[in-house]
Amino acid sequence: MKIKVNKEAIIDCLQKVQSVINPRNALPVLGNVLFKAEKGKLELTATDMSLTVRATMEAEVIEAGTTTLPAKRIFGVFRELSVDEAEMEVNDQNIASIQAASSYFRIHGISEADYPSLPEMEDPKTFSIDQAAFRNMLKLTSYAASVDANRPLLNGVLLSFKAGKLSVVATDSRRLALVEHEVEFPADAGMDLIVPLKTVEELLRTLGDSGTLKVLATPKQVAFEFDRILIVSKLVEGTYPNFRQVIPQATGDRVSMERETLLTAARRTSQLVIDAVSGVKLTFTKNRLEILATAPEIGEARETMDVKYNGPDIGISFNPAFLMDPLKALTTDEVFLDLVDDTSPGVIRSTISFVYVLMPIRLT
Amino acid sequence: MQTPLPRRIIHLDMDAFYASVEILDNPTLRGRPVVVGGSCQRGVVSAASYEARKYGIRSALPIAMARKLCPQAVFLPVRMARYQELSQRIMAIFARFTPLVEPLSLDEAFLDVTASQTLLGTAEEIAARIRMLVREETGLTVSAGVASSKLVAKIASDLDKPDGLTIVPAGSEEEFLAPLPIARLWGVGAATRKTLALLGVKTIGDLKKLPPRILAAKLGKLGPLLVDSARGIDLRPVEPEREAKSIGNEETFATDLFDLRRIEQELLALCTRVGRRARRHGLRGRTVTLKLKYRDFTQITRSRTLPAASDDEQTLYTTGRDLLAKTEAGSRPVRLLGLSLSSLETAERGQLSLFSPTTKKEKCRRHLSHAIDAISSRFGEGAILPGKLLATEKE
Repeated sequence: MKIKVNKEAIIDCLQKVQSVINPRNALPVLGNVLFKAEKGKLELTATDMSLTVRATMEAEVIEAGTTTLPAKRIFGVFRELSVDEAEMEVNDQNIASIQAASSYFRIHGISEADYPSLPEMEDPKTFSIDQAAFRNMLKLTSYAASVDANRPLLNGVLLSFKAGKLSVVATDSRRLALVEHEVEFPADAGMDLIVPLKTVEELLRTLGDSGTLKVLATPKQVAFEFDRILIVSKLVEGTYPNFRQVIPQATGDRVSMERETLLTAARRTSQLVIDAVSGVKLTFTKNRLEILATAPEIGEARETMDVKYNGPDIGISFNPAFLMDPLKALTTDEVFLDLVDDTSPGVIRSTISFVYVLMPIRLT
Repeated sequence: MQTPLPRRIIHLDMDAFYASVEILDNPTLRGRPVVVGGSCQRGVVSAASYEARKYGIRSALPIAMARKLCPQAVFLPVRMARYQELSQRIMAIFARFTPLVEPLSLDEAFLDVTASQTLLGTAEEIAARIRMLVREETGLTVSAGVASSKLVAKIASDLDKPDGLTIVPAGSEEEFLAPLPIARLWGVGAATRKTLALLGVKTIGDLKKLPPRILAAKLGKLGPLLVDSARGIDLRPVEPEREAKSIGNEETFATDLFDLRRIEQELLALCTRVGRRARRHGLRGRTVTLKLKYRDFTQITRSRTLPAASDDEQTLYTTGRDLLAKTEAGSRPVRLLGLSLSSLETAERGQLSLFSPTTKKEKCRRHLSHAIDAISSRFGEGAILPGKLLATEKE
């Protein structure tokens, strides 16, 4: 294998793929990036066996071939090069020689034969969606997924393709975020995918701002194709909890608030919150909101702001981090909070098709 | 700035607590060997009176063995409720002298009396007063050790049992520890003792004579820890009110259980007890752990996290039964079964869950549990039971 590559292009590709590598993997070859050069293209692949990312770039292929090279090392080498062009040649022993201006590197690789091949996907269902829209859906929900390793089902984000729309859902059982978007697909093609959080993070990192994303799914695997990237991931197996059931139907009383004002006020009061069970108390009176945090022997924080509210006076406590998460992810100017009482979930909605159900903290 | 006072810590340890309570409640037992322990053949000794200890009977010895060692001893079942009642009274006496009381079990506690001394007299005087008050108010005896650390106080309290008081003046810890056998130190079990014996270390004093390099080579991380211990250095503070990390119950069966249905019945009984205890303490747990010991003493645990914290025995039972299905119970004889609930959170105070009991059925079950709890606390455990358990009760 012999190629000429552009420094920026290969760094960009290596950056996209190498983040999936698990530094504690047992097989040395899994710490390597797979290089495949043919027909004016260089394909770079990295995997942790559950998640595989492949990025393709243009390169001058003088001699086609494949090898695997240590990810961290090779990335470091290209990053530090002083010139934009580098030539790489790999011999039969998988030893790579890299030459760029006055620099020369020799790096030992491992044969491509030892590298796991991408699993085949049999008879996948295909969906297409706008990349930027999909990335925004993940951004609006993924923070609500559970990071508790004991709850594998909730460690993922649900992509539910049903009835002409895609619903993206994440929950850690204390709050749930749902966002929906219309997607065209055959009526019988509907399916539920639970995508592991690591894969979602990879998508958030690599998805672009324009163009179409193609999703291919089988019951056990999903592939995302966009731009010159392919992400293949195992799915979390099992049935996601019935999320529709926890979204309150009765609306209760609605408060309208400026998102940014609420976010900054909550952030300030949260400085006086000491643990996850004390929370901040929101008290709504006519067109007014008071946010209060008290910590015994430490002090208190109090914020007041104007809101639009006409219902009866109501007080309710929330974990401030859970309150702020959707406010950070949303970009709309206004948010609505629907409340029933201090032990029923509060529901944050927006002018887009977004629902966030947040359970309160009971204080007495 | 004032220099901090040297710490004074008292370790109090009730003498043969369970056995002493039995003698207190039945004075005709006084002077006789008394053994308290599991009611069945397979149980172990929970406590033995000093008369019984002369026959070599110790805590954790199988009851059957104890019977062989001393057939004339009086064997009594454990009456936990009674011991708890007395324990509460004793702990209340301790609390009159300092808020810094760290109970280790029903019959043992550390007290940090450093700051109490200006008001209530020296640590030695306080220890003597406590011993007197416990005897006057409960009729039981307690041994005490007074020292500058938990480690030394605990060793001291054990030195002159029963009914003893051992004082280690500040600064004389090393001198006090030196002649004692090495096994007195925390962390020294049979294996370490053997290793040290080969190096000629028998007493705590011997340990300090060893070059640290050899000690580190032979014992690894434990080495430097032991040297600190040998010098009486132990900076652990007395921590009052340690919060419960788990609520559990286990049962060693009189005979090994083969029948899965029978094991499930025992599981239900355990779940009922654990659920009731959780509710009594206002706690809910997210993790259910099943513990199983087979006939050959191999022990396994299986656990699962619930979608929402629970104190409901039915939830515990269905989870426990699923976990049981992952074991060899039913095909391999089971000697011991245990169930515990951990990742505890306070039931009424705290983050509510989206998936917590909101269905009518679940709410009804909660009401039912509370009604059963009320009946049990008024008429005693066993006054009301799931039908499935009635058969066992009759047996």
